[in-house]
Amino acid sequence: MAVLTAPARKSPARSLPRGRRAGGPRRTPPLVLAFVLVPLLAEAVWVFWPALQGFYLALTSWDGVSPPSFVGLGNFREMAHDDVFLSATGHTVLWLVLFGGLSALLGLGAALLLQQERRGVGFYRAALFLPVVFSLVATALVWQAIYQPEGVLNQLLQSVGLGSLRHAWLADQDTALYAVIVPALWRQIGYVMVLYLAGLKGVDPALYEAAKMDGANIWQRFRHITVPQLRSVNAVVLSVIVIDSLRSFDVVWSLTRGGPYHSSELLSTYMYSTAFQSLRLGYGSALAVVIFVLAFGVIASYLVRAFREAD
Amino acid sequence: MTNLQPNRRRFLAGLGAVGTTALLSGCVTSTSTSTSSSKGAVTLQSNLSAPQAKAAMEDIAAAYAKKGSGKATLNTVAAETFRTQLPTYLTSANPPDVYTWYPGSVADAYAKKNLLLDLDGVWASSPDLKRYSKALNSLCTATSGKKVFVPTTYYWWGMFYRKSNFAKWGVSEPKTWDDFLDLCDKLKSKGVAPIGLGAGGNTAWVASAWFDYLDIRINGGQYHRELLAGRHRFDDPEVRKVFDRWQELLPYFDPNGTAIPFQDATTALLNGRTGMMLIGTFFADAAPKGALDDIDFFRFPVIDPKVPLAEEAPTDGYFASARTGRREQVADLLSYLATAEAQEIYIKGSSGTTLPCHPDAKDAGTALVKKGRKHVAEAAEITQFFNRDSSDALQPTADTALTKFMAKPKSVGGILTDWQREAQKIWQA
Repeated sequence: MAVLTAPARKSPARSLPRGRRAGGPRRTPPLVLAFVLVPLLAEAVWVFWPALQGFYLALTSWDGVSPPSFVGLGNFREMAHDDVFLSATGHTVLWLVLFGGLSALLGLGAALLLQQERRGVGFYRAALFLPVVFSLVATALVWQAIYQPEGVLNQLLQSVGLGSLRHAWLADQDTALYAVIVPALWRQIGYVMVLYLAGLKGVDPALYEAAKMDGANIWQRFRHITVPQLRSVNAVVLSVIVIDSLRSFDVVWSLTRGGPYHSSELLSTYMYSTAFQSLRLGYGSALAVVIFVLAFGVIASYLVRAFREAD
Repeated sequence: MTNLQPNRRRFLAGLGAVGTTALLSGCVTSTSTSTSSSKGAVTLQSNLSAPQAKAAMEDIAAAYAKKGSGKATLNTVAAETFRTQLPTYLTSANPPDVYTWYPGSVADAYAKKNLLLDLDGVWASSPDLKRYSKALNSLCTATSGKKVFVPTTYYWWGMFYRKSNFAKWGVSEPKTWDDFLDLCDKLKSKGVAPIGLGAGGNTAWVASAWFDYLDIRINGGQYHRELLAGRHRFDDPEVRKVFDRWQELLPYFDPNGTAIPFQDATTALLNGRTGMMLIGTFFADAAPKGALDDIDFFRFPVIDPKVPLAEEAPTDGYFASARTGRREQVADLLSYLATAEAQEIYIKGSSGTTLPCHPDAKDAGTALVKKGRKHVAEAAEITQFFNRDSSDALQPTADTALTKFMAKPKSVGGILTDWQREAQKIWQA
C-alpha cells in the first residue's frame, strides 16, 4: 500500500485541483480505512464482545441453560475459600516456573548449540522443532501410551533393572503433574529454540570478533554480548511462555483431566471442568477472569520494566 | 501508476463482488438452512462410538432410509464429548434434532428447562409405544406429565468374568458376600488381581458403579435415589457404611484400576490378568466377537438380606430438541426407532448384549442375554446409574471423591465432607 500511495502524495497535479492545502493533513484513503475497520468490526463481534460478556458472566450464577442470575462478587468470594482453586493456582505457578523456566533455558541451550552452520545442523533443528508441528492432543496420546502401567516407560525401567520404580505415572497424585509437564516441555523447547535462533542471527558477529580480540572467553562472550543482545527476544519469549503456561490445557486435559483428584489441576482445566462439566458457567467465567488478570499482570509488569530499562 | 489505479479499482470491484457474493451466499445458505430445518434429513446425534455400536446405528439409519418415509443423518460423537456438549447442542439456535441419551432424572432436568420436544403425540400415535410397559411409561414421563423420551434398549450391570478363566483357576460364582471374599482370596493366591476396574483415562465414572451397588445393597434403592437427588448428605453415617464395606475389598482391586480406562480393563479381564469386573454389558462392544461366548456374569453379592434386591439396569433411547424445525420428521423417526424391527437391527449389529424395550422384539437369544433378562426381572427395584439417577453435573464430584478414596482410604471422612460441599454447589446452581 505504501508503494501505491507514496507517489500520489508527491503529485501536486492530483491533490491541488481537489482544493487541499499544501502540507495539510491528508484524508485517509477509504481502502485503508476499510482494511482497518472491517477486521476491527470482526474482532469486536467475535473477540471483544464475548470477552466483555465473559466479564459480565463472572458476576453471575449460570447453569448454561436458565437465564444467569446476578451475584455480584459472590464467585470471587467463593474462590477465596475454594481449596481446588487455591491448589490449581499453586499448580499453575509451579507449571509457570518449571514449564516456563525449563523451556526457556533448554530452548536457549538448544539454540546456542545449533546456531552455527555445520553439516547436519538443519536435521537437528528440524528434529527439535518437529514436536511443535504435532497437535498437543496427538502428543498427549503418544505420551499416554508411554506412561501406561504396561507402557514403554515402565517396560524400559524394568529392562534396565529399575523395576522398583515402575509406576502408574498419571494415576498417582505425586507424579501426575510432573508427568504431564514433560510432553508439554518436549513440545515447547523447539518453539523457544526457534525464537532464540532468530535472535542470535541478529547479533552482529563483529561484537564477538572484537570480544575475542580483547581476550574474552566463551562464558564472558555469552554473559556480556549474547545475553544483553537477546534482551528484546527475552521479552517475546517471556510473553509466549507466560501466555502458554496460563492457557496450557489440552495436554493436561488429554492426559489426566486435572486428576487424579485435582492433583494436576491447573486454572485452565479447573475453569473448563467447572464451566462445562459441572455446568457452573458463572464461576467458570470468574476463573477465566482471574487467568486473564494474571496473564495480563505478569506480561504488563515485565514489559513496563523492560521499557524502563530501555529508556 | 496509471496502470495501478485501474487495477486497484478492479481489485476493489472484485472485493466488492466477492463480499456481495459471500453475503448473498450467506443469505442463500441461511435460507436453505431454514428450509432444510423444516424439511430434509433428521440429524441424529449419537454417542454410541464403540465400533460395533456405531455400525449398528448406521444399519438403523440405512433401514430407515429404505423405508421411504424420511431420512436420518447419523452424527457420531465420542461419548464423553457428547455428554459435555449436550447442553450446548440443546440450547443452540439450530440444534441437532434427535439425540441418543437417557430417560429419568437426566431427561427430566432438560425437560424442566423446556429444551426437550413434547413427545405425547408420538406416544399416542405409535402402536408400538402403546404396548410398552408401565415402568417404561413412567420412566419416560417428565415431572410436567409430558412424555419426553422414547426408550429402545436396556442393559444390566453385573460381575462379569471369563468362564474359561474361572474353570482354569478352579473357582465358581459366589452366592453370598462371604463366598465373594473367599473367591477374591483364592484369585489373589493364584497371582491374579481379583477385581478389575477401569476408572482411569476418560472413564473415571466406572468407579461409581461400586458406590451405587454397595449403597443399594446396604441402604437400599430408595435411599440411594434420595441421596442422589440431594435429600440426604454424602457425609451421613449411612454413606460412611458404604465406604467401610468398600475398604474391606480394596486389597483385591487391580492396582492399575484407576490408571486405565474400562476398555483396557476389559482387555485385562479377557487376558486373565484380572478375575472379574463390575461393569455394564456395553463393555462387550469393545470386546472381540469371538470372546463373547466365553463371557458370563453373576449378581453383585447380597450384603444385607433384609434390603430389597435392586439392580442397575439403565435404559437407553432417544429424545429430541424442542427447537427442532422438523417436528413431523422427528416424530416419524422416533416412531420407527420404537418398532421391534429397529431394535432388532441394533441388537443384531452391535455386540448383542442389550435387551430390547419393545415387548415383541427378539433379543440375541444367547445364554448370557437370557440370564441377563432373568437377572433384571428378579430385581425388586431398578436403578439407572449414578449420573442418570442424579445429574451429569454431579458425576465429576463422584469421580473425584471415589478415585481419591481408592488411593487414600484412610481419609474417607474428609473425602465425604468435601464431596458433600461440592455436591451442594451443584444442587444450588
